[in-house]
Amino acid sequence: MSEILKVRNITKSFGGLTAVNKISFDISSGETVGLIGPNGAGKTTLVNLLCGSYYADSGEIEMDGKFITRMKPYQRCRMGLSRTYQIPRPFPELTALMSVVTSALCGKKRANRGFDDAAAEATHYLEFVGLFSKRNILARDLTFFELRMLELARALATTPKLLFVDEVMAGLNPGEANRAVHLIARAKEEFGLTIFWIEHVMAVLMEAAERIIAIHFGEKLAEGTPEEIANNDKVIEAYLGSGWRKTNSAEQSA
Amino acid sequence: MVDAEVKRDRIIIRHKGKKWDWMLEPRYWRNAFLWTACLLIFPILCYFFSPILLNTLITANLYSAIAIPLALMTVGTGRLNFGPNFFVGVGGYTAAILSIAYGWGPLKTLAPAILISLISALLFSPLVILARGLYYVLLTLLLPLVFLEVTFIYSDLFKGDVGLAGIKLLMDLGDVKINFLMIAYLSIFLVLLYLLVVNKILKSRYGLIMATINDDEEVAHGIGVNINAVKILAFVFSAGMIGVAGWFYAHYFGTFAGITYLPLTFMVKILLVIFIGGRAQVFGCVAGGYFVAFLEMILIATLGNIQPVVFPIILFILLFALPEGLFGIYRKRRYREYLPTLHVRR
Repeated sequence: MSEILKVRNITKSFGGLTAVNKISFDISSGETVGLIGPNGAGKTTLVNLLCGSYYADSGEIEMDGKFITRMKPYQRCRMGLSRTYQIPRPFPELTALMSVVTSALCGKKRANRGFDDAAAEATHYLEFVGLFSKRNILARDLTFFELRMLELARALATTPKLLFVDEVMAGLNPGEANRAVHLIARAKEEFGLTIFWIEHVMAVLMEAAERIIAIHFGEKLAEGTPEEIANNDKVIEAYLGSGWRKTNSAEQSA
Repeated sequence: MVDAEVKRDRIIIRHKGKKWDWMLEPRYWRNAFLWTACLLIFPILCYFFSPILLNTLITANLYSAIAIPLALMTVGTGRLNFGPNFFVGVGGYTAAILSIAYGWGPLKTLAPAILISLISALLFSPLVILARGLYYVLLTLLLPLVFLEVTFIYSDLFKGDVGLAGIKLLMDLGDVKINFLMIAYLSIFLVLLYLLVVNKILKSRYGLIMATINDDEEVAHGIGVNINAVKILAFVFSAGMIGVAGWFYAHYFGTFAGITYLPLTFMVKILLVIFIGGRAQVFGCVAGGYFVAFLEMILIATLGNIQPVVFPIILFILLFALPEGLFGIYRKRRYREYLPTLHVRR
């Protein structure tokens, strides 16, 4: 498997706070990589850096052999990077279909791409996420779950190679979350994606991810298979605090 | 033998085995031909019954001709430009100075007026990338006011205090009434042309891209829209169109003074046109233009000196009562009609 994304010593600080500090990792094509970390660990900042919303202070990002560190978001998108947002950010004044049509039009340059071609393709993605019946409803009138699905359809319509999924479970009830997870798994198979999945809920990543990267205070804590991460002392300490082990071992000895 | 058949929603014309379908819009309030016919008949009626109204009519059309490109600019840049009259000033002064200096007629000055408007817009286009929100409003608001100061400082060139006089007239057919009638038709032609062009742009895929920029710039950037290019293009293109209105003013009156078009009072009228028509609604701009021009005429006749105070008050009331304008009420009920739709051939 070839590496689709290489990140080397990427750093970003806001004033005195270093949100992401010298993080390096690789993502191979066809993989599902999870990213975990406690609140404020810098997960979303990392995704923003990779997608171009922020520029890195130092370090390099390489995608398919090209350095994209200084590229603008739309150029990265056309190279095959796409993302969903933690809090859905739809185009409130556009219908569901039209939001997806825009990404089908602009996402990747294709020859002879007309408005009607894009609409036909967008319809397919809407159907894939199960929003076909809501295609003519304004995005601001959709429910939270439907907005999530619309985000996913919009991200898929740009025909990405690498999809960043930012906390897809947040704010969903267990049934909806289950549907979302299955949909992402299906998307990965059907469209041949590589997925970089940021999540709070460990249980999901344990099942879905092949490899997990854990970060804490902007620094990489551990990297490995889900089992390795779950048994990693540093990760447990970051999530549950150092006091947890003491009380736990005290209970065991008593 | 031409054979015409009128059906409920279309006229079918047959000629030598060929067939042409002409779809009729069954909803009369959306029928473009009906509205165009109304616009075209109005000057003739004024000509015969009350020629004074022709002047108001031309003013209304010019207000619309400024507001329609401004609507395009608003959608395309995702920001409301508060100084569209800057480009009216640029276009007008270019036409006026060239006409006085070289004795050029309106046809010769048109191209330079557009060109200088485009160049000035290109100079100030970084504003649409750098400034957002209130800062953009303040900066664009300052542009015409600074230009007004410049016309006073370089008084020997711009004649800021008295205005430039002696510009060649738009047309001179001998009779004053016929002159006015023809100028009215020319202004209507300008409005119709702008409506056609801007509506085509907004209904196309570029309109859709502009709509995404209008809604959420960052997300649009993330899904592959080159937002800076679209914003600059929209800004420069509509500025050129607004510049033509300035050219029209200069040649219509034969005089051009910055003090008439650059201060806030003129800007408030244009904003009122935009807000009555509905923010960024091209067809609303025509209704708004006629509303404001005729309201202005009535207020001048009835209220006299306090008229400049009344306009801002109306603007404030409308901003609170109808944030999306008159068209906004209609749009809320029928939002699907204002988005690009797929045309399925039967």
